[in-house]
Amino acid sequence: MYFYLILERKRGKTMLYYEWKKILVKKGTKMALLVLAAVLAATCYFAIHDVYYVDDNGEHVYGLPAISRLREMKKEWSGPLTEEVIEKVIAENRRINDTKEGRADDVQSSNIAYGWKLGFHDIYYLLMRSFCKFREADYYKPNSLMPEDARYFYGNRVRSLQEWLEEPEQEYRFDDEERAWLIGRYEAVETPFYYDYADGWKQLFAFASTVIMLMMLVLAFVCASIFSGEFQQKADAVFFSSCHGRGKAVAAKLGAAFLFVTVVYFVTVLLYSVIVLGILGADGADLPIQTNHVSWKSLYSLTNFQQYLLIVFGGYIGTLFFSLLTMLVSARTKSAVLAVIVPFFILFLPSFVGGADMFWVDKVLALMPDRLLDMKQCISYFYLYRVGGRIAGSLHILPGLYSLLSVLLFPVIYAVYRRMQVK
Amino acid sequence: MELKIENVTKTFQKTPAVTHLNYTMENGVYGLLGLNGAGKTTLMRMLCTLLKPTEGRILCNGADIFRMGADYRKLLGYLPQDFGFYPDFTVKDYLMYIASIKGVHKAVAKKRVGELLVRVGLTKAENKKMRKLSGGMKRRAGIAQAMINHPEILILDEPTSGLDPNERIRFRNLISELAQDRLVLLSTHIVSDVESIANEILLMKEGELVHAGSPEKIIADIPDKVWKLSLGREEAVSCARQYKTANARSTPSGMELRILSAEKPHPEAVEEMPGLEDVFLSYFGEKAGEDDAVL
Ligand SMILES: Nc1ncnc2c1ncn2[C@@H]1O[C@H](COP(=O)(O)OP(=O)(O)OP(=O)(O)O)[C@@H](O)[C@H]1O
Ligand SMILES: [Mg+2]
Repeated sequence: MYFYLILERKRGKTMLYYEWKKILVKKGTKMALLVLAAVLAATCYFAIHDVYYVDDNGEHVYGLPAISRLREMKKEWSGPLTEEVIEKVIAENRRINDTKEGRADDVQSSNIAYGWKLGFHDIYYLLMRSFCKFREADYYKPNSLMPEDARYFYGNRVRSLQEWLEEPEQEYRFDDEERAWLIGRYEAVETPFYYDYADGWKQLFAFASTVIMLMMLVLAFVCASIFSGEFQQKADAVFFSSCHGRGKAVAAKLGAAFLFVTVVYFVTVLLYSVIVLGILGADGADLPIQTNHVSWKSLYSLTNFQQYLLIVFGGYIGTLFFSLLTMLVSARTKSAVLAVIVPFFILFLPSFVGGADMFWVDKVLALMPDRLLDMKQCISYFYLYRVGGRIAGSLHILPGLYSLLSVLLFPVIYAVYRRMQVK
Repeated sequence: MELKIENVTKTFQKTPAVTHLNYTMENGVYGLLGLNGAGKTTLMRMLCTLLKPTEGRILCNGADIFRMGADYRKLLGYLPQDFGFYPDFTVKDYLMYIASIKGVHKAVAKKRVGELLVRVGLTKAENKKMRKLSGGMKRRAGIAQAMINHPEILILDEPTSGLDPNERIRFRNLISELAQDRLVLLSTHIVSDVESIANEILLMKEGELVHAGSPEKIIADIPDKVWKLSLGREEAVSCARQYKTANARSTPSGMELRILSAEKPHPEAVEEMPGLEDVFLSYFGEKAGEDDAVL
């Protein structure tokens, strides 16, 4: 019996090996992987080139040469972001504004002044978020602040949310319980924040969704022909008339596809992370995400590293789900073209119906699988749902929902494909 | 090994491809003859569980083959008419893969692939990509693929079509070698392919089995008689229009015809011994008048 099991396992492995090989030897796969490599290279370049500082002549210096200088400038402000530090930032900002360069109208001078502010520019942005209204972003707002305003810095976060919730427009969007829940989430974020140079994470997050989304399309392209390929290559008759053709051979196909998606996904994400963090530095992994001004309003108490894990694993579940969906269509319709349209369709669905500008439509769209490819966006969503009587954000729902659906898709694809007739 | 086809019908969107077919096969070589569109491929696909019959059932030693599933397919070797493969696989990889999905253990498969490559003469091409093989080599890879699991039921759909005469003869010999101790069903519309190797001939027309039996029996049962007749050119042409003509050969004095007809077509006609070709024509042939291509 034990011997038999080993033999069975071995045979499964042989099938898996050849299915894996079938995927890899295809021209389409090789091309797709080249495209992915190009996308990765381009994204890494942009993520790094995006970083800059301004030299003494007011010239922007981008990319590699800028990194150490910018890092040095920001490191001067690292530490707990207390009221005193905020006061100092406001004062320093005012001081620079009052210099000759700060008051000048010409581009060069104002660039020079801007360059002086780069060290605390992240904090400047946080001031903008804190002192503007909830749905407002006035870049110049911090210039009007006085050092004594510093004491409102953290309190503003909760206060502006409260004000926003009291607007008549929000009346029908949130009930009392949800309001209380939202405020509770805000209050749960620990203050004062710790501040540090974290441009590595910032840039990593900024381009992660591009990498993941394009990777999903590339993988879906490859997956689209795995099941329909048997028919297109007319290998279906031999396949389905073989002993395991309506059983283990189908499972091996699924297994190979799963492995391919998983390996390509994690290798790509790992390469992307290592390159960007390796060059820009991984400092600031433990910072709360709210120290990055784009996440200032987030409901979630997460560190940069936790957000990274969410983006990576959310992206993986999303990519896997899309790949499986593509394979289901491919297995059912025998058409790779139809199959590859599916992810595009879902991806562009929000741009068709999202224009309706209705809260409930957006709320439904926030649960679509493409959101998993951009978890950072979900982290800033304010759509609330009830799951078993409890309030949850889309961030709470998406990973579990689509993990479950993905797990369910495996047997569905298996069942659909093994019943195919060869006409 | 007994394969029993019971009242099998397959209809594609109302067009019947196979209708109420009954037949029982045992070990031996069965030649399935029929014109294009007769339903040969459809029948074979059903025998390979690739298509479900609209009606009727197929039994293997008394058990429904669709119920048997993998247990039945384990016994099966199939070379499809439109034989496809994985173009980027090498011949060896291809055969090893097919062995794996046919449930042949890896160690056994390695040995078997080696043997079969020798047998079909592809040893030198074992590391060639499938896409680089010639038509004949592909067919041979196809036969090797079908044989890899020592099938008890071997189904070959037009295995010789598109092969040159030498290759065709080699193929025929290969098949007759492989035919021992198993059930082989092979389809063709070329009579000479099966004439010498088939124990039984099945004649299929428009989805129905019009006749079946040993070549001798089928020849003996021929509904027409075969006549040889030499005539002047003009008379020969008009005669060929009236009767099914197996052959028309120009001679210095006119034409020599081989005619199929129940009664004597001409006072000068001489009766000849019928062959399998004549049987084929007798069932499937048209009078030359309906098909000028003969002349
Ligand atoms: N998938 C299909 N859908 C619709 N009709 C089909 C299909 N397959 C076969 N047919 C029809 O069924 C009939 C029998 O076709 P089949 O391919 O079985 O003939 P065949 O004897 O193998 O012919 P050939 O000698 O050309 O290979 C034909 O009329 C064909 O048009
Ligand atoms: Mg056919």
